[in-house]
Amino acid sequence: MRTILGGLSACLAAGPGLAQDAAFDVEAEAQICAGCHGEAGMPVDETTPIIWGQEYFYIYTQLRDYAAARREHEVMTGIAAEYDRDQAKQLAEYYAAKDWPAIQAATEEGDARLANAGITGGQCSACHGKWEGDSRIPRAAGQQPAYLEQTMKDFKNEVRMNAPDKISTMKQLDDATIEALARYLASL
Amino acid sequence: MHLKFLAAVGGVCLALGSGPASAQEETSASTLYGDLQHVTQDMLERAAGDGNNFLHTNGNYEQTRYYPASQINTGNVQNLRPAWIFQTEVVDSLETSPIVVNGIMYVTTSFNHVYALDARTGRQIWHYKHQMGPVTTYCCGPNNRGVAVSGDRVFMGTLDAKLVALDAKTGKQLWETQIAEAELGYSETMAPTVVDNMVLIGTNGGEYGIRGFVKAFDTETGEEIWNFYTVPEDSKGVWATHDATGRDMKRDIEAEKAAYEEMGDPYETLGGGVWQNPAVDLETRRIYFVVGNPSPDLDGSLRPGDNLYTDSLVSVDLDSGEYVCHFQYIAHDVWDLDAVSPPIITQVKDEAGNDIKGILHGGKTGYVYVHDAEDCSLIRFSEPMVSQEGRWTLPTEDGARMLPGANGGVEWSPMAIDPNERLTYAINLHQPMTYTVRSTPYPEGKLWLGGSFDVIPDEEQWGNVTAVDYDTGKIRWKVRTEQPMIGGILATAGGLLFTGEGNGLFKAFDSSNGAELWRFQAGAGVNAPPSSYTVEGRQYIVVGAGGNAQLNYKRGNNIIAFTLAD
Ligand code: HEC
Repeated sequence: MRTILGGLSACLAAGPGLAQDAAFDVEAEAQICAGCHGEAGMPVDETTPIIWGQEYFYIYTQLRDYAAARREHEVMTGIAAEYDRDQAKQLAEYYAAKDWPAIQAATEEGDARLANAGITGGQCSACHGKWEGDSRIPRAAGQQPAYLEQTMKDFKNEVRMNAPDKISTMKQLDDATIEALARYLASL
Repeated sequence: MHLKFLAAVGGVCLALGSGPASAQEETSASTLYGDLQHVTQDMLERAAGDGNNFLHTNGNYEQTRYYPASQINTGNVQNLRPAWIFQTEVVDSLETSPIVVNGIMYVTTSFNHVYALDARTGRQIWHYKHQMGPVTTYCCGPNNRGVAVSGDRVFMGTLDAKLVALDAKTGKQLWETQIAEAELGYSETMAPTVVDNMVLIGTNGGEYGIRGFVKAFDTETGEEIWNFYTVPEDSKGVWATHDATGRDMKRDIEAEKAAYEEMGDPYETLGGGVWQNPAVDLETRRIYFVVGNPSPDLDGSLRPGDNLYTDSLVSVDLDSGEYVCHFQYIAHDVWDLDAVSPPIITQVKDEAGNDIKGILHGGKTGYVYVHDAEDCSLIRFSEPMVSQEGRWTLPTEDGARMLPGANGGVEWSPMAIDPNERLTYAINLHQPMTYTVRSTPYPEGKLWLGGSFDVIPDEEQWGNVTAVDYDTGKIRWKVRTEQPMIGGILATAGGLLFTGEGNGLFKAFDSSNGAELWRFQAGAGVNAPPSSYTVEGRQYIVVGAGGNAQLNYKRGNNIIAFTLAD
């Protein structure tokens, strides 16, 4: 039994939960994040994304991308640069284990139709599936609509550069479709 | 260097004996049908003539998808009715090819669940749920295309790039092997192939800058036996200017040569996934498979050269994995019109009209290619099955329209043949797209398309079922469908063809002339290859109806078996 478990944990070495750094107190660090991302998962600002219950690997890659300036943002770049890979993994693990908060999201007449036309055209569901997220694909269902709108427009306007293939996809969509998509996805 | 090291390390992690308890849910091991039968190599080799079982993803080692039973035939197919419907736990894209061994059926779902079912009743025998690691990758839905069976074992590749072996009787995990590094974009959706105690499997990742391969693993231990990289260290090739059908691909060879001098060979991140099963020729002990697109898909500027062996038919030695021959359809592809549909081995006419051993492949370009199995060379290509309007228009920064769209022609969907009619059957897509290029450096294992392909929303799309005479390349018949087709097709000795559509229709056609003989509305997209089997003297047709993530066809979770009404 021992050897079996030993072999198995070696298999999981790439995953979360290993190489814990004694000096790093993830709970304490999370206090910093809570200032914007919320004490109980509900962000303070409408353009700040929900990270409670977000996908582990996605949170990790975003933190690494901010740190390496592959994704640039006035506050997140500086914050993420403070953490090494293991620490970023611990933060990601911490937030991925939380429950996603329920938000109030209102849609407008015609949003679903416009959004679905955009989704089919951009072949979004090939990766995003039912928008619930999976590993490297972020959850978008129930995300803050103002953040979703902003980040899609950031792709379109070449502000957000860390998923460059999204740029051409978003450029195919007019702003009305992007806004409908944001409301629609937030309401899922 | 760094990359090469990581890719090579995909080490073997074995959990011999029984796996961790949390790795599967076992429900019940008993079956009214008694013991599960041991699948011998002999059974696997005779599958083409076995009208009881369905032992290989594509029917047999030659991958003909021609099923020898004829109880269900053109004369009585109108009496085909559902025998049972099994609902899986996962409502998502279903691409599984049901495998049937002596009355026991194995199906898989998105996110790597495996079910063993009583093939007569649909009753669940066991259910295995893969304990997914933290990093999974897919370009085109969380799909899985099924299991391979051998001995008392069932094998499956996973989205976190593992190969797992399960006990066929209980669904307990026997071992698992890490095939390659998941963080770098390697993952598995194809069903493995088992031959002579080796499990053969390729890899996804052509959208992530991987270095593709086909590997062989030991069925007993999960240890790697050989590895064939689909991208050689010298990938530049012969600077081909025209594709296999003779059209100019508008390459700027001088600029590419200069870039090659400057940046060196791009083989480490050149893609070349292998999406579907190899055809196995036990006479010559060779396998034949097709290799997918180069990475990044649309941006050729970072990968000068022909990008060997992407977009190619490749043959390697079954026992050693040594290269035998290849034929490249498109050198330096910038449209993702690669090679995915699994190749078929069958007798074909050569140019002189003699019967020789040939290989058929349905390309994403929408042509059927016919090769000489001896040296992989091209004998002929068919008439185009779909519009070729604007091929090859180079992708631009503003987006350029072209047909076929990036889903093909023919997608991963396997073809089927009828060796008596000398016809091969393919399902097609007509999807005009814009191809947009945007050059970005290798993003270390994240999605790397180098641009995007987008469906043009206001243009009409449709599909076809097409029968091609492989001795002449002529289209014998073609039937149009409401939507682009993805999934697969089965031909039977009953003179029938079965295939499903995104709108939920599952249809039977007369394989000689394309007449529709039967249809059933499954309630969700039928986008999986059908199988057939016979238990207690009764023939069944079975198919998954779970829709498709890539084309956004309505999702569901049904496995539906049909048989003739009494
Ligand atoms: C001063 C406010 C602030 C603080 C403090 C803060 N964030 Fe953020 N965070 C933001 C904003 C605003 C964004 C959206 C940035 C953008 O659009 O790129 C964001 C984005 C993110 C994202 C990307 C989410 C997504 O869906 O793409 C992650 C992950 C993240 N933050 C994690 C953290 C963590 C972990 C901490 C604490 C260590 C933290 N943040 C602290 C404001 C903050």
